[in-house]
Order: sequence, then structure tokens, then C-alpha cells
Amino acid sequence: MSLLSVKNLRVSFDTEAGLVEAVRGVSFELGRERLGIVGESGSGKTMTGRAVLRLIRPPGRIEADRMAFDGQDLMRATEREMRALRGPRIAMVMQDPKYSLNPVMKVGAQLMEGLRQRDRLSRMEAHDKAIAALEAVQIRDPGRVMEAYPHELSGGMGQRVMIAMMLIPNPDLLIADEPTSALDVTVQAEVLAILDGLVRNRGMGLIFISHDLRLVARFCDRVLVMYKGKVVEELAAQDLMQAKHPYTQGLLNCLPRIGGPRQPLPGLDRNADWAV
Amino acid sequence: MALIEIDNLSVTFLSKGHRVLAVKDVSLAVEARESFGLVGESGSGKSTILRAICGLAPVSGGAIRIDGQPLDRGAGKGFARRVQMVFQDPYASLHPRHTIDRTLSEPLAIHGIGDTDARVMRALDDVGLPRSFRFRFPHQLSGGQRQRVAIARALMLEPEILLLDEPTSALDASVQAETLNLLNRLRAERGLTFLMVSHDLAVIDHMCDRILVMQHGQAVEELTRDQLAGAQMKTDYARSLFAASADRMLAG
Repeated sequence: MSLLSVKNLRVSFDTEAGLVEAVRGVSFELGRERLGIVGESGSGKTMTGRAVLRLIRPPGRIEADRMAFDGQDLMRATEREMRALRGPRIAMVMQDPKYSLNPVMKVGAQLMEGLRQRDRLSRMEAHDKAIAALEAVQIRDPGRVMEAYPHELSGGMGQRVMIAMMLIPNPDLLIADEPTSALDVTVQAEVLAILDGLVRNRGMGLIFISHDLRLVARFCDRVLVMYKGKVVEELAAQDLMQAKHPYTQGLLNCLPRIGGPRQPLPGLDRNADWAV
Repeated sequence: MALIEIDNLSVTFLSKGHRVLAVKDVSLAVEARESFGLVGESGSGKSTILRAICGLAPVSGGAIRIDGQPLDRGAGKGFARRVQMVFQDPYASLHPRHTIDRTLSEPLAIHGIGDTDARVMRALDDVGLPRSFRFRFPHQLSGGQRQRVAIARALMLEPEILLLDEPTSALDASVQAETLNLLNRLRAERGLTFLMVSHDLAVIDHMCDRILVMQHGQAVEELTRDQLAGAQMKTDYARSLFAASADRMLAG
């Protein structure tokens, strides 16, 4: 049985300008595998990720024929049941450590907060677990990082702290929303390798949301390409270069390549039939 | 003689009482009409070099010359007519309460250049924005449109040198392609000289003739475009940067 099953998911917002549909009928099944969701800004990829956790506030509305996690119906779950899922079972890593960590709380205190509140651990146990979590994401001097405030960390370190925090309760599903787009290429490669190792070793399911098609292809088993709230193509990551859909091809071709020709980069044709 | 000459530049910041050497003894020379790239991870000092040229960073040693002239402290009006900068984040670099019209006409007013109306219209045409955008505010524009406004603003005084600080890293792939094409077209049309900073080797490779790889504030290695494409780098750091580039990932 699949870990997460989503059928005909729709997310819509009532705005002054009328109804805006951010996600228009997305369906997918996820096992304990790595699924990539790619698209440009506004394609609905982030909203899809948030909808799984029901983290969309009114006036936003989530509708789906079916959305089930490990046999549990997410559409019918009460707010209390959802809270029990968020964190321990399904965790989410956000894009930018600058905005997603509490700026006035030391990293250690943020890591230990959940352990103390949720798991009722003693201060000592929580401290040890937090240190272990930081070591798991290859932070070399966890003692110093525990005592640091988020602004004292580099982007790569902050991102690792967030990953460590999300992995402490050992979730079954990790939703990573652009976890490396605020990072440099070299650091990006490191963080991805860490994430990859953790997902493999713990047998987690992963939804990896990104605008970088090549990164996703390298890192995931399967890729969903989204445009304007719809999935335009689904394919195995290794078949990416043979993508059929013009949008996917467009996304690939508009990226410059080292040693590539110096001609103008091809743009995306947004007026074709599929774009409506 | 090169248009931009930087000799043994050092930049030192004072932070919490101790000195941080952000740029150490970096030298480079950019010929007129050349496109030169600076690449490296964050904190490598690449953006600081651009800021030092504009007088926005505390230079503690070395010299910067534009066309043989040493830069006088505090870049003046004459400097602004020759050198302009495009910043990384189009959400932060435009005044949120000024219309596009005001943003574009301000440099003209400061420099006492008339013909504002026609020049603003032409600037919008040049960067491919509809003229109807003229009286909009930045929040009514997308990221790519804002970066076009930032490029138009930088070109208002018809400078010969553009300093580009990660001009596309905040943009989507397809919008990045459009923006890079725009920059290349403007360079060809106006004979501009680019000094461009990016952490994306593929972008730098597409845009630049020569590349300086930086790490920890120091110059690591200078490469021509052919050397980069042929993976003929000598230092380990340049090689690791090359290997980590998303572009290579797919190939490997």
C-alpha cells in the first residue's frame, strides 16, 4: 500500500479578483521513495506540499476526491488528529533558514523545544538527542551551534539545523520545499547528500519540491512537472532527457550549459494549447 | 590598457571589534567590451569587489582604476555616468513607493539631463517592458519584470560598465533565460563591459569570456571560457565547483 495517496487535489482561494485556483486536480501516489515536484513560481508546487499537511489557511480551500496518508483520511481528520501527524509522522523543511527559524531563540532551545514538550524528555536527554541530530546532518561542532542564534549561522548551517529539527521525531514522510535553493552549489551538493543518506537509511518517503529540474532529476526517483496548478508530465527521473512534453523540454532547454553555444537561450512558449 | 584594473585589492570590515578580511590581495583586469565573471561560494568576497568599485565597501589596500584613472573616494557624478550596478534581489533594490517612472527618471534629474519623457519610454522599450508599466509600482510587477526595471535604471545614464551582482539568482529558470538574453543583447548593441558575479558556473560560462574563481576572499584561479568547457582547471577548488554545478550533475 502506498504511503500517501492523493487524488484530484484542488486548492483554491477566494480573492477580490475572483476565484484563484492554485492547484487544479493533482493526483499522485507515493511509496517510500523520492518524488520530485518541479515547476516555476506560481505553478502550485508549494501549495500541493502544504495541502498534504492541510497547512492552507482560509480563505484558501482544499478539496480532493481522496487524500490519505498511511490509510488515514486526511480530508476527514480533525485538527487534533492533523496535529498528531504534523511533525512526528509528516515533516516539512522550508526554503529559507533565515525566515523559518526563530530569530530570538538559540538553536539548541529550538531543537529541544519539541523533545521537551512533545516527548516529555528531561533537559539532559533532550540535549543529547539534539546534539545527536546535529551530528547526523554533519555539523562538526554541535556544541557551538546549540549555543548560537540563527543569524550567527551561515545559510548552509541553518538549513542543516532545520533538517535536523525535522528529522528528530523520525517521520515517515518528509516534504522538502526548495530546501537548497538559498544555498551555494557546493553547499547544496553537501546538503543534498545528507538528505539523501537520511532518506535511504531511515526508509522515509520524500517529496522534494524545487524549481531546478536538473537537481530534482539527479536526486529523485520520479518527477512530477507542474504548470499552472496541473501536472503536465510525470516521468522517471532517468528518462528526463527524453521528456515528451514541450513545457518540460522548455524548462530543460532554457538553462545555460557549461561549454554550450553562445546563442540566445530558448524561451518558453506559454501560448500553446497545453498552457490553458 | 584595460578598462577596469584592480591591483592587490584588500577590503577589511570591522565586526564586533575584530577585523574581517573580506577580500585579500585580489588583482584583475577587464578589457573594454569584455565580459568578465567572478564565481565562488557565498562569503568568497566576489560581491564585495563589485561594492568596492562603487565605493560601498571599505578598501584597506590596493588600487582600483577605471580607464587608468584611480577612483576618488566616494564615487561622484562622473563615476555614475560610466559605471552602474544591477543588484541581486529585484524585490529589495527598487524603491517600493516610487513608480517605475520615478525610479527611471531620477538619475536624469540628478544629472540635469532633459528629454525625460522620451528617454523613459525608450528605456522601457529597450528592456522589453510594455509602456503601460510606466506608472506602476514595483509590487505590481513580477520578479523578472522588476529585474528588467533595475537593468533599465542602470542604463539610464548610458554607462560603459555594468557591474552585475547575481542578476538572475532570484529568478525562475525561464525568466533567467530571458534576462540573460536581454543582457547579452544590450551588451552587443551598446558595446558594454560587464563585470558579473554569480555562484552558478553555467550562467557565468554562458555570459563571460574570462572567469576568476574565488574562495575565502582570495583569487584561486583564472580561466578562459575554453579552459572551463574543457575542464582544464588546475586547482582542486575550481574543480569541485565545476563538479558540483547542477549542469554537471545531470551529465554525471
